[in-house]
Amino acid sequence: MIKIENLSKSYGKVKALDSLNLEIKKSEIFGLLGPNGAGKTTTVKILTNLTKPESGLCFIDGINVLKHPQEVKRIIGVVPQENNLERELTVYENLLIYGMLHKVKSLKKRIEDILSIMELKDKKNSIVNTLSGGFQRRVLLARALLPEPKVMFLDEPSIGLDPHIRRELWQIIRKIKTEGRTVLLTTHYIEEAEALCDRVGILFQGRLIALGTPMELKKNVGEYVVEFFNENGEFISEVCQSREEAYEIAKKRSNGVILRKSNLEDVFVKLTGERIRKIER
Amino acid sequence: MLDWYPIFLKEMLQFKRKLLRLGYIFSAMMAPIIYLITFGLGLGRTVTLSGGVDYLTYLFPGLVAMSSMNNSYSWVASTLNLSRLYFKTFQIYIQAPINPFSIMIGEVLAGMVKGLFASLLILFVGFFLPSGFKINEIFVLALLLNCFMFACLGVITGMITKSHEDTATYSNFFILPMAFFSGTFFSLDRIPHVFKPFIYIMPLTHTNILIRKNFIDTEALLSLFAVLFYCFLFFVLGYLLIRKYNE
Repeated sequence: MIKIENLSKSYGKVKALDSLNLEIKKSEIFGLLGPNGAGKTTTVKILTNLTKPESGLCFIDGINVLKHPQEVKRIIGVVPQENNLERELTVYENLLIYGMLHKVKSLKKRIEDILSIMELKDKKNSIVNTLSGGFQRRVLLARALLPEPKVMFLDEPSIGLDPHIRRELWQIIRKIKTEGRTVLLTTHYIEEAEALCDRVGILFQGRLIALGTPMELKKNVGEYVVEFFNENGEFISEVCQSREEAYEIAKKRSNGVILRKSNLEDVFVKLTGERIRKIER
Repeated sequence: MLDWYPIFLKEMLQFKRKLLRLGYIFSAMMAPIIYLITFGLGLGRTVTLSGGVDYLTYLFPGLVAMSSMNNSYSWVASTLNLSRLYFKTFQIYIQAPINPFSIMIGEVLAGMVKGLFASLLILFVGFFLPSGFKINEIFVLALLLNCFMFACLGVITGMITKSHEDTATYSNFFILPMAFFSGTFFSLDRIPHVFKPFIYIMPLTHTNILIRKNFIDTEALLSLFAVLFYCFLFFVLGYLLIRKYNE
């Protein structure tokens, strides 16, 4: 559904994307992870026509994003990192303007439907500024879903939300997937990617350094983790390929050793941490 | 065809909310009233103009032109700058399946409405003042073109400024001198010859010439062409800036 070929983009001397190649399948939730400045938002901005790349190609549903932006805009929905709702307008007015811009058919009925689906009916006439952060995020999602896009871009959708509201949002994102939409999600929250994504890509300095299902990534990097404090009082977390290897390390420590299964965060820390150390050296 | 309408509608909904706040109307009227009182009724009483025209009659159309310029320009420049750089709401237009031309039209029409509204407020105040000023077709045409021209210029400023503070800088360098030196408060005949080329480059000068005419003579025709040229130039530049939008 989304195909990226050798995509590069720089901001001054900083290379935001460095020959990125990526394919995202239809109806999957794909998570793009990476530290700050890894190129996640730049990727989304290029795919949603806010930024032009220096080189490379990208296709959404077979349409060349750079050559036919108008056609691509008809099939995508975007939830940006920043809340870009019209704060002085009501929820309904925000949806109305967006729906008109996207030429949604039977707009008024569609707005009523989406308000029901997103449980926003009683907030219909509320001014956006008066809503809590959680509700504003929900309105952003409702707005992006209004034209029934084939592909959704969610750029850090749960940033700044408390855990309870974040989980509510996850339910909505899961619902989007069941409707057959493809979702590209960028996130800082590793547990979010683990809970939602079918596949995950880890970006580092504009390059894809890992790609696969959360399970595959954990298997590749190591399924077990041993955690302990060393002689200098430093906290050590070692990812091991097998249980036996983990036991061997644990046995050498007299106390305060934790042996557990690895998670996506361990994968992320190991892969990006190794690279950061290489750069520092 | 009507792709510009949602953009215009959004601006109008926001404008309506602002109008409901009582302070907005008074603040929009404040500057022109101060000018009318200070220059028109105060200093103006000592001014004699050729042809027996009283100063208030001379000043009034100039104030309408100035106010329409200020409001069309600053509203568009400021809201576009804020929506592009801070609220990121402009990005919604870029990501929507509409062309840059429609975005330009929507923004300019909204700016024109605000400029015309401010002009109406002054005309309302002027209704109670003793002047021989009368509205004719040339006045209406000049006013509409002026609003269009400065709304287009507002788009240019809104698109090129890198921070909200820059908007004030552009305003201080271009709009403020134009307000005072383009024949709003005094006749262009009184300006030394050395400065005249600079004065005639300013778009507002030509609106001020046109807006005071009772019939189309050669001078009015030249000014009309100058205003139309600026309208075209600013519109094309604004459109190109929107089309080339790249974060």
